[in-house]
Parts: sequence; C-alpha cells; structure tokens
Amino acid sequence: MPDIAIDAVPSARPAVAGPLARQRRRAGLAFVAPVFLFLCAVIVLPLGHAFWTSLHRVRGLSSTFVGLQNYARVLGDEPFWHSLRISLVFTGSAVALHMLLGLGLALVLHRLTFARTTLRILFLTPWMVAPAVGATIWLWLLEPQFGVVNYLLQLAGAASAPVAWLGEPRSALAAVIAVDVWRGVPFVMLLLLAGLQTIPPEQYEAAEIDGANRWQQFRYVTWPNLHYLMIVASTLDIINVIRHYDIIGVMTGGGPAGGTEVLPALLYNTAFRANRFGEAAAIGVLLLFIVLAFAIVYVRLTRLDRPENAT
Amino acid sequence: MRRPHRLRALIGAVLSLLAGAVVAQQPIVLQWQTANLTETQYEPVWKKTIAEFEAANPGIRIEPVLVARKDHWTKFVAAAQARRAPCIVSVDLTTAAYNGYLLPLDKYYNAEPAEFRKAWSDKMLSAAKWERKLYGLPIWGGTYGEIYNRDLVVKAGLDPNKPPKTFDEYIAWGRKLTGKDQWATAVLGGKTDTTTRVLLTWIWANGGEAFNADMTEATFAKNAKSLQAIKTYLSLAKDGLAAPSPTTTNYLEQTNLFAQGKIATMRNAYWAVAKVVGDNPAMNGKMFAAPIPANVPNAPTLSTMTASSISHSCPHPDAAWKFIKFDADKKWAIQRAKVANWMPLRNDLADEPEIKADPMLAQFVQMGNNARSYPLPSPVWADIAANDIVDAVQKSLLAPDKTDAIFRELDGKLTKKLRDI
Repeated sequence: MPDIAIDAVPSARPAVAGPLARQRRRAGLAFVAPVFLFLCAVIVLPLGHAFWTSLHRVRGLSSTFVGLQNYARVLGDEPFWHSLRISLVFTGSAVALHMLLGLGLALVLHRLTFARTTLRILFLTPWMVAPAVGATIWLWLLEPQFGVVNYLLQLAGAASAPVAWLGEPRSALAAVIAVDVWRGVPFVMLLLLAGLQTIPPEQYEAAEIDGANRWQQFRYVTWPNLHYLMIVASTLDIINVIRHYDIIGVMTGGGPAGGTEVLPALLYNTAFRANRFGEAAAIGVLLLFIVLAFAIVYVRLTRLDRPENAT
Repeated sequence: MRRPHRLRALIGAVLSLLAGAVVAQQPIVLQWQTANLTETQYEPVWKKTIAEFEAANPGIRIEPVLVARKDHWTKFVAAAQARRAPCIVSVDLTTAAYNGYLLPLDKYYNAEPAEFRKAWSDKMLSAAKWERKLYGLPIWGGTYGEIYNRDLVVKAGLDPNKPPKTFDEYIAWGRKLTGKDQWATAVLGGKTDTTTRVLLTWIWANGGEAFNADMTEATFAKNAKSLQAIKTYLSLAKDGLAAPSPTTTNYLEQTNLFAQGKIATMRNAYWAVAKVVGDNPAMNGKMFAAPIPANVPNAPTLSTMTASSISHSCPHPDAAWKFIKFDADKKWAIQRAKVANWMPLRNDLADEPEIKADPMLAQFVQMGNNARSYPLPSPVWADIAANDIVDAVQKSLLAPDKTDAIFRELDGKLTKKLRDI
C-alpha cells in the first residue's frame, strides 16, 4: 500500500489526484464524520450554549437577553480580578512545584537500581486517588482540633497550639497548593521519567570520559534533552491546574473570605450558590479564553516537529 | 391469513398484553430530597414514614435522595435547571419559588378539608408563601436557644439554674467556662447559612435589625445596635472564649465540639440535642437549655421553618401531594419532635401529652412562642445568607479592627442585591 504512505506526506499529495482521490477523501470524511458529530455534541454545542447563556440574565427557569452586560458586570467587579490573582498564584506555585519535585523524583527513580517499580507505584498512588477523595482525606488530616498534622506538630514541639490550616486565607491557599502538589507531582514525574529513559546512555558515557561531574552531566546532557519535554509538560500542567476546582471545592469552597476562590470556584459559586447563571457563564467563557491562550502556546510548541529546535 | 402470519399476530398480541401489564404495574417513583434525610437521628423516622406510606399506597414508591446539607441547594438547582429536580423537595422556599423551581400548592391545599387546613397558623403558612401563593407545607421547625453542658457549667462553679440573661453575663460565664483545650462556645464562620442564623440571633437579642421592614435595605452596620451585637459576638473568638478556627466552623463542627466536651455552650436549635446524643450518647441528660441572652426585653429568637414542596418539573404532583400530606400528619410530627428533635409546627401539637412530657422540648416550644421565622423572605436569601453575610463574618474574624468597614461594605452590597430583583 505505498500510495497510503504517500497520502500521509503533504508534499506527495499532488501525486494522487482524480476521481479515486475524491472518492478516498469522501470515504475519509465519512469515517471522520461520526467522531466529528460526537465532538460537536459534547464540546461545541455545550460551549455554544454557555456563550449564549452568558448573553442572558438568567433567573431560575426564565432568562432575558442582555447582550454583553454580564461580561461588563463581571469585569467591573472586584471578585473576578481577585479570583484571577488567586488563580495565577495557585497555578504558578502548583506548576512550579510539580515541575521541581517531579524532576527531582524522576531523577532519583531513574538512577535507582533497586525497588524502582515499587517506588514508582508508591509515588503514583496520590495520582490514582480521586481528587475529591484525596481532598477529603487532607481535610481531616488538617482539621485543627482532631487532625493528625496538628497532633504530630504538637508532639514534635513545632507548634504550641492547634493551627487552623484552612481558617486563614494564606495558610488555606498554601494548604490547597500543597494538596494539589501532592496529587499532581506523580504525573509530571512519570512524564519526565519517560523522557529520561529516552536519553541515550552513550551521551552520559561520553560526558564521563570528558570528565564531566554529576552536575555537569545534568546541565549539559539531561537538561538539553528534557528541556522540550519540560516546556510541554508545564504548559499542559498549567492548562490542567488553572481549571482545577475539585480539591478547593472540597477543602475550602473558595474560602475563607475568598482566600482560595480561584476562577473555577468563583464560577461554581456564582452559578450554583448565587444562582446567577448568566454571569457564571460569562466567567466560564473568560476562563476558556485564558485556557485557550495556553493551549495555543502548547499547540505551537508541539507543532515544532524537531524537539531540538525548542532547546 | 397464512399460518406463520397468524403465529406472528398471536405473538404480537401476547407481547403487547405483557408490555401493557408491565407498564400498568410500574409504580410511580417519587424522589424525595431534603438535607434533613442525612441527619442520623431522623433516619428511623423517615424510613418508617416511607414504609407506611408505600404500604398504604402500593402504586407509589418513594426514593429518598441523600445529599449533604452543604451540597443540598446546589444539587437541587442543577437538577431544577435540567428540569429533573426530585418531585418532593425542601429548599429555601422564597428563592426557589422566585426562580420558578416550585409548583404552587394552593390548588391541593384548598381542596383539603377545613380540619386539615387549620392545623397550621396563618403566620406559619405565610412563611411558606411567595407572592401570596403557597409553595410548601411546613414540616420541620427549629427554634434556637442556648444549650449548655451541665457538667462543665457545674465544674466551672456556675449555677445551671441561673443561666446568663444578658450579653455581659454571658461573657462573664464564658470566661469561667474557658480553660486549657476547652472553650466557652464556638463562633460560627463556616460557609453555610447557619453562620447567618446565629449572627441574626445576636443582632435581634440586642434590639438590632439586619434589614429594613420590606427587605430592600441591609442595616448590619447602619443600625448601631446590630453592629454592637456583631462586635460582641465576634469578639468571643478574638478574646479566646471561642474554639479556634471559627472561619471553618459550621454547625457540624460546633455540635462535634460540644459532644466532645470541648465547648460548654452552643447556640443551636433543639434538633442539635439529638445530634449531640447521636455523636456521644454519654451526653444524654447532661444538657440544659435556656433562652438566648439578650440586652433588650422580649427579644425574639430565631425559628427555622422548612416546608415540603413539589418541584416544578415533577411529573406526578398529585402523588407528591399525597406523600406530603401523609408526612405532615400529626403522628409523624410527634415522631419528628420526639426522636429527631424537630419542633412541632402544627397548632394541635403543643398540648399533646408526648410533647408536654419532654421538659426540654416543652422549653423550646415556650421559647418558640417569641420567635422570628427564618429564612427571611427574599428571593436572593439563599445567596446572601450562605455567601455574602458569611464572607463578611469571615473577613471580620480575620481582621476584627475592620469590622465597621466590612459590614458597611456588606450593607451596600446587599442593598444592591435586594433591589436588583
């Protein structure tokens, strides 16, 4: 079937023309159509509906067209900008820590010669736990009166009185970031470990012969090889983390005093607690644009067909 | 007709008959969602209610929907928006009716005999109305009082027979009831509307008002007595008389702390007594209740009224009304009061021997005679009670010296919302 292989290469396309090519294109479209329609049903239509809702003032089961009023209202309100700031702090801190700890763990696991599989499974456990379940466990661990964390801190003499981890905006934000890191690091670790395993050992051998120490091996062999993967992983992680709601929803609901109210939490609270669906949809559309910006970065990065271009 | 055709026709007829019979035997399934179903102490009562109703009405099956209190409203709204809300629901009535989520019940209620209708006072029924239409039948009531741990009170050298009557006396008690790893009370600042309920009791006990008469203006800071009450209440946390982490304390943490002997008093409804005993059976008989300390004579307490309503999208409203009527019966009202500690809301229950025989219940009934109905009648109440007011309380707990400014800002925000309906 050499012609199929040629079809897949854009530069070879002119070689196939005429009725046969048209027939193949039609067949191809027919095969793609079900998936396209399915994606339209589950992605495009809800998005369209969300945008349509954002142009309405919704009060329960009735709605009135208000144009862009909801956007003006949302963008003119302090809570949106406050939530955007919280979202950026949450996402920035969580992604940075995911990358740092993920890389550290991946390097350790890559070098290990014993218990590697056991440790890999062990490190992956937080990622395998459903976010809501993990968040509930941490909620109890951090409970001020009966929580294990405070008990251990007091036992070790590190705290004289119970700490209300989720009772104060800064510590609550730190706590939800910590839980997100606990849950998010394994995935990054797995990605980077896969990347590490693709680095040819000869490169390390050559560096060693040239007298490179551990740090120099990392700086001049590991890092250039992982650089592209790190950028892709962090972009994907940003897209993922900026949309996070579950951990915050369970642990703080956005509180106290809005201290952990990231944009998805603001969206949820506006829709389901305040019953302002139009404004919530507007927040959703704005959040979508933020995510899209990062998605464009990701698409551009992955379009570079040679990783070395990115390094 | 040839033989195979006849055979097919015969099979078709038999299948149609069978299908018809299956459809005819399918019972009507009514989903029932109320946050109260998740209260352990109520479980035996609602299970018995369902069993007896289904036995009396073989064509109707009740399917309880258990949702945690904090998620109850959001789940209902999501389902109502999808036109798939459970048939029988207990939600913030005014907000739900305003949003079109509920069915007016006047048609059903007016068709009932006078004897049934007179079981509820006009005042009680007015709390279940929105724009003069009845949207629910009052089922659950909760009168707020101050509940004390007798052992801790005695241990602190205080007399259980002379509970504090004013704010100052309450604070003086609080100081004596606070010790190492133990506090006088809990200040509620968690993200549920119970935070707002307790705050309102303090405001009313000081002769203040949180809103003007027609609910078009908020007066938390504008009314000097309200602001003074708020400051007194929240200062319990600042002064160390209340359990730590008030911004995450809601009614569940409060009752847990009380059941474990970590706090000596709690402001709560009568049903909290059953909850405490459920959490710690050793507390049975070790509690006493008293009217809320107040700085003005005849200060009202707060009485919650939760009604059973029929959702707008319910395909079987007649059957749903049948169940609501069954559940509102005197027999179940007594069970709710005796077993699960909800206040009897029917007129004909106050003199029931079973109600009178329980001294604490009788005391709460007495306190309920001077109570204001809750939730307050505003279509945005569910939002402002669980979000805006709670946010202000949390901010104030975190920055007590900014309380004036925080509640002034709250007044402005709420007034805008109340007028933007």
